[in-house]
Amino acid sequence: MTLSRQRRFVTPGPDETVEQLAARALPDEPLESAVDRIKSWNLHVFAMRRPPGLMLGSDVIFVEPPIGHG
Amino acid sequence: MFDVIVKDGLVVDGSGAPGFRGDVAIKDGRIAAVGKVDGEARTVVDAAGRVVAPGFIDPHTHFDVQLLWDGAAKPALEHGITCVVPGNCSLSLAPLKASDRRAVVGMFQQIEEMPPEAFTTAFEWTWEDFAGYRAAIEKNLSINVAPLVGHSVIRLWVMGPASQERAATPEEIAAMQDLLRQCLDAGAVGLSTSFVDLDEHGRPVPSRFAQFEELDALAAVLGEYGRMLQVVPEFYATDITIARIDQLAELSLKHNIPTTFSPLFDTLAVPDNAERAIARVEEQFARGARVWPQMQTRPIDISFSLLRPSLFFARLPRWVRILRQPLEQRLAALRDPETVEKMIADCGPDGGEAMMGRLVARGGDACPADLAGKTLSEIAKARGQVPARALIDLSLENGLDVAFLSASQGHQSTDRIGPMLANPLVHIGASDGGAHLASFSTYGDTGYLFSEFVRKAGAMSLEKAVAKITGETADIWGLKDRGRLRPGLAADVVVFDADTIDRCEEEPAFDMPGDGMRYVRAARGIDTVLVNGEVAYRSGAYTDSRSGVVCV
Repeated sequence: MTLSRQRRFVTPGPDETVEQLAARALPDEPLESAVDRIKSWNLHVFAMRRPPGLMLGSDVIFVEPPIGHG
Repeated sequence: MFDVIVKDGLVVDGSGAPGFRGDVAIKDGRIAAVGKVDGEARTVVDAAGRVVAPGFIDPHTHFDVQLLWDGAAKPALEHGITCVVPGNCSLSLAPLKASDRRAVVGMFQQIEEMPPEAFTTAFEWTWEDFAGYRAAIEKNLSINVAPLVGHSVIRLWVMGPASQERAATPEEIAAMQDLLRQCLDAGAVGLSTSFVDLDEHGRPVPSRFAQFEELDALAAVLGEYGRMLQVVPEFYATDITIARIDQLAELSLKHNIPTTFSPLFDTLAVPDNAERAIARVEEQFARGARVWPQMQTRPIDISFSLLRPSLFFARLPRWVRILRQPLEQRLAALRDPETVEKMIADCGPDGGEAMMGRLVARGGDACPADLAGKTLSEIAKARGQVPARALIDLSLENGLDVAFLSASQGHQSTDRIGPMLANPLVHIGASDGGAHLASFSTYGDTGYLFSEFVRKAGAMSLEKAVAKITGETADIWGLKDRGRLRPGLAADVVVFDADTIDRCEEEPAFDMPGDGMRYVRAARGIDTVLVNGEVAYRSGAYTDSRSGVVCV
């Protein structure tokens, strides 16, 4: 059984910063751009959470934008 | 001589098979015979014209504390529920060191909206470990309990305050595994965790600081016992919910365990939310994973007053802060013009018209009779105010004891939800029984299943509806002794009128410790409820039976 394609994600490592995660998830991107992308794809962590940007070990961090459905 | 014969009813046995006219005989707490039964019994329950079904199972509750003073989990039992699963969403009352009680009570208050008096005035804390909690509730049960143990309390026990600060070390994870084994040996039906909840200080609960590796290690222990993993996912975001489904599927396949996530809501704001999640569940089941989405039957209705914090204000942190203050400080804040201006501004440039205008003033309590049933928008216009200010002023004028109803906040489309509930992979649950006491009634979802989705919408047959909340639920949770009317199984039986079974109107009740208020719904159409062969509820009254057990 092949699963349909869904948004790819990673989970943060222990004490991992967004910069480290961005470098891990988007190794071909310049770091600054990679960080911006990660933040923009994960507003549930980087905009809606208090304090913004507090990454937790259990978080789902998307490493690509939403994909079309329908 | 049988102990009980339930005679001449329409036997709907929980398997989904067509009902048939017959009897159910009970001996020593177990079903002795099903069909045409000859012989005598000490007690005969006349079920003519009624359905005889297995007792209903509610798989998502927070009765952890109520069970300490109310072994019937009222009013759940009178709705035909004979087994409840407390300990959901990473929170249970054991294992819990005495020094950590305050912290966990704060989490229950914040997440499940329970009053502090519920934890301080109605019982003695006599336990720390899971076996001790089991002993504390088991002596007084008239309903069966299949308790989960919470990941957050396991983490708190092992890591203390660091449980809300960092990842666990390998040694700490091993200690959590050992502790989980102790809980499972003591009767826990599985482990619950949460990816969304906050404590009373606004900090993520301990389970949210766990790496996936920690959850994987705990799931490995569940695999040793074949027990359930329950999670509360980010149900408001479809992509994240699907990511959680994939994580659960990985754990299910790797450790051969059942998993369930709750809640899954349908919302017209994101019309494909539930549809996409269910489609992913179907894909994962096709791979062999067991990931059961729990969907509630009732629409989301929220009631509140300014007497206490409410879910309704979840997106208004200033309101929450003010409503959490002691009464005198709260009143002072609500009378302070500068503070009120800020509160109104929080509600948007329209003064809360969009956010609050459709609220309806509930009758009863201190609501002026001429306002009951009117919308806040109507009330505000008549007062020449914006809705947020009218809400505050009207509350102040009446001792804050004016309740408002926010009806149908989502999950209200019967046409859409009926087929989802009928889907064989959708688990009917997520009632939250015993929680959110002052926001909405968490009782009567089973009655609503029959009245709304069987009788009114025809979304499923009577037999299918019974199976969904009895036999299928027992199978999902591995409750091998429950869920069906079959010789040898525990005699949990409900006798009801298929034409009238329903939930009654939501009403405030003041039966919580410290005269605390909660919303409840009485049952309609339930004649008799038997728990392990004893009559626990009959003709509108509870008996003195204490035949409930902790069951796995």
